[in-house]
Amino acid sequence: MLSAPMQTRVHALRRLRELGGGSFAVEVDGPIPATLPGQFYMLRTEKRWPVLLPRPFSLYDRAADGSWGSFLVKGVGEGTRAILDLAPGEGLVLNGPLGQPFPRDIDNPICVAGGVGLAPFLLLAREYKAQGRNLRLLFGGRNRAALSGLEDVEPVARVFASTDDGSHGFHGMVTALLDDLIARGEVKAGEVVFCCGPDPMMHAVAALCEKRGLRCFLSLETYMACGYGVCNGCTVKVQGPRFKGWPYSRTCMEGPVYEACELVH
Amino acid sequence: MLKTSLGTLLLDNPILSASGTFGSGWEGRMFSDLAQVGALVSKTVTVHPRPGNPPPRIWETASGMLNSIGLENKGADYFLAESLPKMQQLANGGRGPRIIINIGGESIDEFVQLAERFSAAGVDALEVNLSCPNVQEGRLLFSTEPRLTEQALRAVKRVATVPVFAKLSPNVTDITEIARAAEQGGADGITAINTLIGMAIDWRKQRPILGRGIGGLSGPAIKPVALRMVYECARTVKIPILGVGGVRSATDVLDFVCAGASAVQIGTAQFTDPALMVRLKDELRTLLTEARMTIAELRGSAHRPAAIPTAKPTAACAVATPEVKG
Repeated sequence: MLSAPMQTRVHALRRLRELGGGSFAVEVDGPIPATLPGQFYMLRTEKRWPVLLPRPFSLYDRAADGSWGSFLVKGVGEGTRAILDLAPGEGLVLNGPLGQPFPRDIDNPICVAGGVGLAPFLLLAREYKAQGRNLRLLFGGRNRAALSGLEDVEPVARVFASTDDGSHGFHGMVTALLDDLIARGEVKAGEVVFCCGPDPMMHAVAALCEKRGLRCFLSLETYMACGYGVCNGCTVKVQGPRFKGWPYSRTCMEGPVYEACELVH
Repeated sequence: MLKTSLGTLLLDNPILSASGTFGSGWEGRMFSDLAQVGALVSKTVTVHPRPGNPPPRIWETASGMLNSIGLENKGADYFLAESLPKMQQLANGGRGPRIIINIGGESIDEFVQLAERFSAAGVDALEVNLSCPNVQEGRLLFSTEPRLTEQALRAVKRVATVPVFAKLSPNVTDITEIARAAEQGGADGITAINTLIGMAIDWRKQRPILGRGIGGLSGPAIKPVALRMVYECARTVKIPILGVGGVRSATDVLDFVCAGASAVQIGTAQFTDPALMVRLKDELRTLLTEARMTIAELRGSAHRPAAIPTAKPTAACAVATPEVKG
């Protein structure tokens, strides 16, 4: 008989930790399986789930022993608001970890996060910190409030913050900050960028990387139905040898992380 | 208690996956013991590879979702070489689920080709997709035309060596005409229903949301429509019916059985819970044990005259009741 190694599990909410800007670290009881930075979970509330399909979230943080984990959730729609309406002790249904992480064979990437796109990078920063190293992380938002989670990541990474309105850190978009770091020699051609954020920001980062000769990996957010490869709903247009000529790829299976040059717009 | 038959195809229980919602079962095996499922129905296989429709391909709606995947699949050669062996591994020499291959053709000739190849490959049954709303040719040719439905089934039946089910579209004026045509063409059963054509628009962008504009609606929103159509088909044809549309609980399954379905397919609800089919099978057993009924006893029971006579109005009641004027 074939076994069923993966299961959707109900995890009790420990607490909602406010991160500012309408975002929260949604902390749940473990066991949270070992998860690589960039992998995600499908989430829904156990009770009173107001929509049909679960929603995908990167794992934001995890106790080293898996005894708890958290997701970075911003209340933007019915599903996310239902998650943020949970009371401690109530159940969150998790399915994961799913998808492919950021490449594991890249040493010392430059991470670029926009808003809740910070989510996959805290775990990566912790990995580097455990080796006595500081991950470089560019973190941009509209204003200081939009830099939700900045206090979590600052102790474990070398953070360069930017805000569009200049209320914190570099005044301007995170792409301008990246270009500035390249101009100052902090970031050099041939280095590798890991990026996660809103689509327009990722487009801009990818374009800049191409111009400046940096490799760039993007963690995409797409509408998903199943998250485990059966519906073919979350596909993006792709190219490159990994896809053997097939024009579409499922972000839940081969993604959500793609090298920028693999994506066709 | 849960055993059911689709003509000559015997199933341990009436829970099947709906085509296109569970791949070929391989990903789903990670989440539950699929040996407990009655049958797995593959995603539609076409003769040639089909890349599918441009994204976005899905959109959630009130109690449902729209999809316009467009039958993305790598074609019959690939399926026979790569996917079918995995399904056969899940079938585990008859100890696992029955394997039903859903075939999609752009012409009768293609349906025949596919039916020949998959019959020869030793699958348990075929489901003929006459009704995908997301490909132009299928929608125009088969699902809405009784004559073409009958011809396609007749041609497939001529070469198929396993039972053949016709999957019908709800996007017709009278589904019973198509069901009857499928029966006359020799279908061993019908699957009702495929998705309802719908769309979503983003008024701020003043554009349809789905890449192809329109898509198929599935999920709990369509259950009453599906139930009604299964009920109507059950009055029209004698061949077994596979009910599908918005099923997410054991109660839903039994509603379809009462409407006349011999077995039920689970679709969209599997996206929310990848282990749902096995859970529903367990819940069915509990419900039927409590009710002291079997699937066979319940099948079509909603068509029978009420078993308990309705109470006759008392004289006082009769006086009080106003006369209803036609």
